Amino acid sequence: MLQASAVTKSFPGVKALKDINIEVRPNEVVGLIGENGAGKSTLMRVLAGTLRHDSGSLTLDGEELKLRNARDAARHGIGMVFQEQSLLLNMSVAENIYLGQEDRFIRFGIVNWKAMNAAARRQLAKIGVDIDVTARTSELSFAARQMVELAKALTLEESVDRPLVILLDEPTSVLTAADIEVLFERVRALKSRASFVFVSHRLDEVLAISDRVYTMKDGEVVAEHRASEVSAPELHKVMVGRGLQAEYYRETRQGEPRSEVMVEAKGLGLAGAYHSIDLTIHAGEIVGIAGVVGSGREELVRTIGGYMPQTEGTLEIAGEPVRFSSPEQAVKKSIGSVPRERRIEGLVMFLSIAENITLADLKSVMRHGAINYRMERELASDWIKRLRIKATGPDVACRKLSGGNQQKVVLARWMTAGSRILILDHPTRGLDVGAKEEVYDLIRDLSEQGVAILLISDTLEETIGLSHRVLVMRDGEITARYEAKPGAKPDQVDLVKAMV
Amino acid sequence: MDGPYSLKNFLERGWIHGAIPPALLVGLVILIELAAPGFLSGETLSLLFANTAVLFILATGVTFVILLGGIDLSIQAVASLASVVLAQLLPSYGLLAFPIAIATGFAFGLLSGVVHVRLKVPSFVATLATAGIVTGMALWISDGRAITIEEGGRANTMWINGTLLGIPVVVLLAAAVGLASFLGLRYTRFGRQSLAVGAGEPAAWAAGINVDRTKITAFAISGMLAAIAGVILASRLSSGSPSLANQLLLPAIAAVIVGGTAITGGLGGVARTAVGALIISLVRIGMTFVGVNIFAENIVFGAVLIIAVAITIDRSKIPVIK
Repeated sequence: MLQASAVTKSFPGVKALKDINIEVRPNEVVGLIGENGAGKSTLMRVLAGTLRHDSGSLTLDGEELKLRNARDAARHGIGMVFQEQSLLLNMSVAENIYLGQEDRFIRFGIVNWKAMNAAARRQLAKIGVDIDVTARTSELSFAARQMVELAKALTLEESVDRPLVILLDEPTSVLTAADIEVLFERVRALKSRASFVFVSHRLDEVLAISDRVYTMKDGEVVAEHRASEVSAPELHKVMVGRGLQAEYYRETRQGEPRSEVMVEAKGLGLAGAYHSIDLTIHAGEIVGIAGVVGSGREELVRTIGGYMPQTEGTLEIAGEPVRFSSPEQAVKKSIGSVPRERRIEGLVMFLSIAENITLADLKSVMRHGAINYRMERELASDWIKRLRIKATGPDVACRKLSGGNQQKVVLARWMTAGSRILILDHPTRGLDVGAKEEVYDLIRDLSEQGVAILLISDTLEETIGLSHRVLVMRDGEITARYEAKPGAKPDQVDLVKAMV
Repeated sequence: MDGPYSLKNFLERGWIHGAIPPALLVGLVILIELAAPGFLSGETLSLLFANTAVLFILATGVTFVILLGGIDLSIQAVASLASVVLAQLLPSYGLLAFPIAIATGFAFGLLSGVVHVRLKVPSFVATLATAGIVTGMALWISDGRAITIEEGGRANTMWINGTLLGIPVVVLLAAAVGLASFLGLRYTRFGRQSLAVGAGEPAAWAAGINVDRTKITAFAISGMLAAIAGVILASRLSSGSPSLANQLLLPAIAAVIVGGTAITGGLGGVARTAVGALIISLVRIGMTFVGVNIFAENIVFGAVLIIAVAITIDRSKIPVIK
């Protein structure tokens, strides 16, 4: 039995795990659910040995575990199937399955490829899939790669003489319904030999496969249920944990959009990503796009933000046709992006708050052709006060701020630059509830000021709650459009139907 | 403990790292003064600055590139080519030979920048290749020989070897280059954007900065300053040669890093490079005192560079070193 007792983990500015107690019993599938940012992935990484917790302990059959890395975890029979698939695409299936374990096939310094391929074939046979082990991994479908990942995790059986614990981190997010059923069948068949921890935010799936379900919220385990004794709506309530849905997203502040068209796309397409997109965003309007990974929505918003130029159709910004080949051109057309990867694309983490705020519009603090440092600090101090950014001053490096405060700095940058169109790419990812609410307030402020906003988000609730209109994308196309007036918001279930 | 000037904040912004080089410089000065009293006189100091000037100008140029997280390995070749161009053209073009030689350096810096950015060739490869091309051209133009600047030409180079108000002109030139570079990095849009690109290129790009233009500009400046260093060197030695600056690449890069500019980019500046260049000069003087063979000095500079990078590199920023 694998047990976590009082496990905590902090990142700068965020308590990611607070006093976590969970156990995984032999031959059991344990579900772990929670909204994005609830701490599920962090907990998985602690169990898999790729992240050290700050305090608390892990035990395996009563023996304390000190996991320094994934190899330590593997030695104790803990394997992980990653959310972002961990296979090396330039290698063969067999090479991937035995990556790091080549020693077993080496004689006199030479790898016995025949033996490795045969062993890989046996692994894949165990989970009942038929994949050519000599194929390059890049030629496989996502679903097939997932199976290879699973087979790779199961190789631990050959070196560890105790039941395995396999961690599945959102394995279904890129799979079709039929592939998910195949995966679940395998998991059920393997239950006699291993226990599984299954992470997902799709509640029906979790209930279908799990014996017990833990619900996480804001870094804590808030509930434990037997899967047979709880329904998806009940779980959802525990997971989201708030009754006043409408007020959470500031729906009472949702005003009427203005008539001015800021963004207009006609037949917009990007080869291999999306096509035939018709889209209009008015000043003051928030348009949300729902869709799964691979729906093309990520690429669509990045086209409008200037990251990936379209290959067909037209895009007009405030009536003017454009084709951006860099964000610089989009910024010149008064478009600001709040990218998903805040720490990489959102902010220059080693520069100060002041330097990050003026990055897109240095002119505003330049006098006589020179940067005026006093003006720059005053401008930043002003934003710190207005947006209640928690920092000791404008000179603090952004990497020292919490996620919510970092996001405020990004927004302050675009407000300084006077952006009239904002692309919000997962604007509340990794933020705790309080910080999310502050960001929602800011988004409403911007909308009231007439900023046109294009939103994609981790959760459907957020997309529906914030938007004036919601578009649903699937396989690169818009499959449904919904009005989302306050009090008459579209139903999540309908959206999901259009998504998959 | 909090506030912009707290110890914590100093550490965060790398100020402790920044304080080590000046302390080292002061320590070296004291050491040499103790070993040879009289070192701190105006005359020897003026000689020290004059001997550091060329190194400092070269190092300042490459500082722009290193701040962006790149490297320019072509500076010694560019400086040598500029010396050849100057020596070749002085007799016929007179003073006009200076701007032509400097423009040549600028052009090859631009070339490195364009190759690096547009063809997406890593900067060390781009500048290594440029160095080869430039050296080849210098050899070709000069027929592989050193070109002596004869009497006639020397009339036009004398001003560089003179003094103004008691200060050697080379020191004034270095000071002017240093000051312009310092102000350029601190107060212009280009300077700020260089820092942003060096500290976090994807975020700088996403914020609408023209990363390509910033990089090309930095390489062009590096080439131009290398050429300035080359013509000064040629004037001082009254000769242009395709191998004139051959031993200067290593000390120049060592000066930048020892001065406290991060090899990974985003942190540092010209003031630090000035300190670094003086440290390198003092180490050189110290070596002659101790009796180290002058031919062995690059052994010391190579070791110094390795140690400085090993101590200062911020491994939390880059998980994989290639």
